[in-house]
Amino acid sequence: MSEAVSAVPAMAEQAPPGRGLRQGSWRRRLLIGVVSLYVAALILAPLGGLFLGTFAEGPAAVLRALTDAQLLGAFGRTLGIAAITVAVHLVFGTAAAWVIVRQRFVGRRLLNSLIDLPFAVSAVVVGYMLLLIFGRNGLLAPLLRSLDLRVAFAMPGLVLATIFVTLPFVARELIPVMEALDAEQEHAAATLGAGGWQTFWLVTLPSLRWGLLYGLTLTFARALGEFGAVLVVGGGIQGRTETATVFVFHALEERQPVAAYAVALVLGLLSLILVTGVNLMRRRKGLA
Amino acid sequence: MIPPSYRARPASAAVPWGAWGLRAAAILYLGALVLVPLAVIVQDGLRQGLAGLWRAISLPIAWHALRLTFWTAAVMACINAVMGTLTSYVLVRYQFPGKRLLEAMVDLPLAIPTLVTGVMLVVLYGPQSPLGGWLESSFGWRVIFAPPGIVLALLFVTFPFVVRTVQPVLEDLDREQEDAAATLGAGAWTIFRRVTLPALSLSILSGALLSFSRAIGEFGAIVIVAGNIPLYSQTAAVYVLGEVESENRLGASAVSIVMLATSLGLVWLVDALHRRLVRR
Amino acid sequence: MNKMLSARLQAAFGLLALVLLCACGGTAEEEVGARLILGAYTTPREAYSELIPIFQSRWESQGGQPVTFEESYLGSGAQSRAIIEGFEADVAALSLQADIERIAEAGLITHDWRAAPYGGMVSTSIVAFAVRSGNPLAIQDWADLARPGVEVLTPNPRTSGGAMWNILGLYGAALRGGVQGVPEGDEAAATEFLKAVLRNLSVMDKSARDSMTTFENGVGDVAITYENEVLVGQQAGQDYELVIPASTILIENPVALVDEYVDQHGVRPAAEAFVEFLFSAEAQEVFARHGLRSPDTGVAASTASLYPPVPDLFTITDQFGGWETATPGFFGDQGIFTQAIIEVQGE
Repeated sequence: MSEAVSAVPAMAEQAPPGRGLRQGSWRRRLLIGVVSLYVAALILAPLGGLFLGTFAEGPAAVLRALTDAQLLGAFGRTLGIAAITVAVHLVFGTAAAWVIVRQRFVGRRLLNSLIDLPFAVSAVVVGYMLLLIFGRNGLLAPLLRSLDLRVAFAMPGLVLATIFVTLPFVARELIPVMEALDAEQEHAAATLGAGGWQTFWLVTLPSLRWGLLYGLTLTFARALGEFGAVLVVGGGIQGRTETATVFVFHALEERQPVAAYAVALVLGLLSLILVTGVNLMRRRKGLA
Repeated sequence: MIPPSYRARPASAAVPWGAWGLRAAAILYLGALVLVPLAVIVQDGLRQGLAGLWRAISLPIAWHALRLTFWTAAVMACINAVMGTLTSYVLVRYQFPGKRLLEAMVDLPLAIPTLVTGVMLVVLYGPQSPLGGWLESSFGWRVIFAPPGIVLALLFVTFPFVVRTVQPVLEDLDREQEDAAATLGAGAWTIFRRVTLPALSLSILSGALLSFSRAIGEFGAIVIVAGNIPLYSQTAAVYVLGEVESENRLGASAVSIVMLATSLGLVWLVDALHRRLVRR
Repeated sequence: MNKMLSARLQAAFGLLALVLLCACGGTAEEEVGARLILGAYTTPREAYSELIPIFQSRWESQGGQPVTFEESYLGSGAQSRAIIEGFEADVAALSLQADIERIAEAGLITHDWRAAPYGGMVSTSIVAFAVRSGNPLAIQDWADLARPGVEVLTPNPRTSGGAMWNILGLYGAALRGGVQGVPEGDEAAATEFLKAVLRNLSVMDKSARDSMTTFENGVGDVAITYENEVLVGQQAGQDYELVIPASTILIENPVALVDEYVDQHGVRPAAEAFVEFLFSAEAQEVFARHGLRSPDTGVAASTASLYPPVPDLFTITDQFGGWETATPGFFGDQGIFTQAIIEVQGE
């Protein structure tokens, strides 16, 4: 009886409703303090350091660095690779999610588990695997030679590497959404005479658009930041296979820290804006 | 799972070739893109059989690289499990000024290219920086260019993992049991330990395992931060790079296989855990 | 709603297509006059930025069509691999003979590149040390690198040609009696000395240039490196000092035409003229201005003030029988260096 009475003041102390826990405010402050310190030291401080490092020589130096021809080329390459990657996953990721959720066949489970694989592969290993296939002594080397095609140490290799590492995003976003989707509407459309493609385009796709957008945004952001795989499979050749991240790496080597930090900052900010932007949109729409 | 209403219908009422075409596309996409490269590297690493693989990974430098990778990942996973849960708890249960900022910071590591992470950490905590220099001269702690730097970089990169697996579970947690324990006189810590934590254990575990799996393959941040001295601060991924560049294919493939097997195994384990979590 | 979705998707696709076009345009090859592609290692970047315009005006004044250059600078080994894997460099200028030979073995260089002046070596340097301004730890020679408390930087031989030169320079000096406390010709003692220095290692970077950058970032007391890396750094305003040990190895940097790509591009006359130009006295003087010692005796004599003679200078061929023996002997699985580092770290 007395415990229930003494619990009441404790509950009244806390602002959020329905707490019911006898937690002193010092405990609360301690926990918040510890977490804040941790996050500040681990994440905020390095980010601040990057800002400072970028502007250490003033904004003019940053502008100069960001308009350098070699950098613009590298950036263009990164954007191009990211665009192609997004296009590929838009089509194939959606198709794969559809097939896994809506069709039943032998090996469906296996296909599903393949989707998570790229998360588990180190970037260096990705690049190396592609070299084993497309390199000079690779599996497909004779074929490539006869077709006069270059994949390793050329753009196609970079694109393939990026497609690999970003593979899970779209499919993993779409599968739960498709599963939760009631197939009734699709049946209705079918009984009304809509073909498979029409049904997909007009009935299914609109419901998928947020999951799709989120998955594609994550894909794009991740593609911007890919480093290890493109370094190994592409060689980082200036003017050919040097992406924005490889440019940062080279800039550090070439005693151009401001250029390196500036590009790093741009890449980071770009990805951050994309990811948090879509996150905000989703939350506003009421989806987790 | 497949909605029951759909299961009663045949595979596809739409044009059959469309369905097959899609299936073929999906199989090509996943099979060719994912399976083939993995198969190629496994085959390359086993060129001289299991004995050859063992020989390659038991070379002192390779073996140490693998050990370093695993123990730094393990240390990181433990710290992450604690701090991630704590962060999640603070974000879900408390209101305070700056909470929005904290929330945004959690996702930051996912957006930052790993190379950039490495650069940031060296700039801030490297031995030439005021902070790093002070740590070293006062306590003899070298963080950057030593194994602690590896753990630091890994903590940054995997920070969101535990937080994001625990947060939804914590949000949905029914407070009844906690409230009941409180009215029975349990202190806050006891409540957390005996009521909240067990409910979260599966999600904490899967977050920790996911971050461990991710850490095994981390390259971009580590190559900048670690110092990369063989048998001291050289991780498996950096070792593989060295072997690729000196054209030691067997060494590169063999160590890659070990890395792959471990992280893949963990990813599938986490998937299984998630399915259990959902079923709850 | 659906129309809006359609419109948005179309717009998105349109944007994608546009970006794609730009990306493809960025990597398309332009056929404007002759173009020479140079694949070099990182160190002579500044030298080539001066050499190329000189060659271009010379070539045009001699009646050749305007020639543009595309340059790529990577670590020597990385550049060598890139060229073999399909980067169509017309001229390869690398740090070690072994990297050129790798390209030749792949069938891409079919002429005898060693028949060029100075055996195909367009520049030379030596293994030396970079120390902090004022040389606070009074590092004068190899023996000082093994002193307790001295932090040493050198790159990883697995990925860096420069690192291999460093280790060979160290070991050769030890064998030749150039290290106090190490008897001449005593391999066991030389190996012990190597281990002593390895114990002082603080960072092992991927490449020679990375190593210098780390040094510039305040790590380490002394970096074992190419003399010309130090000189170029000083020219770029870096505040460190060069220390030349009494006994050290001569680093020879080869240049070669890559026949396969030259003929594919049809730029043989221009390419041959460029390589020939690199060996001319004028080009040699430019190299000398950028921290590289010239194999040309005339130029070497006129730049003697910049490049003090080394009391005991040896070559890889004299001391170790060339790269074919040195590479496996030192850096293979059972190599002296590999074993040394295992033993040191196992302590």
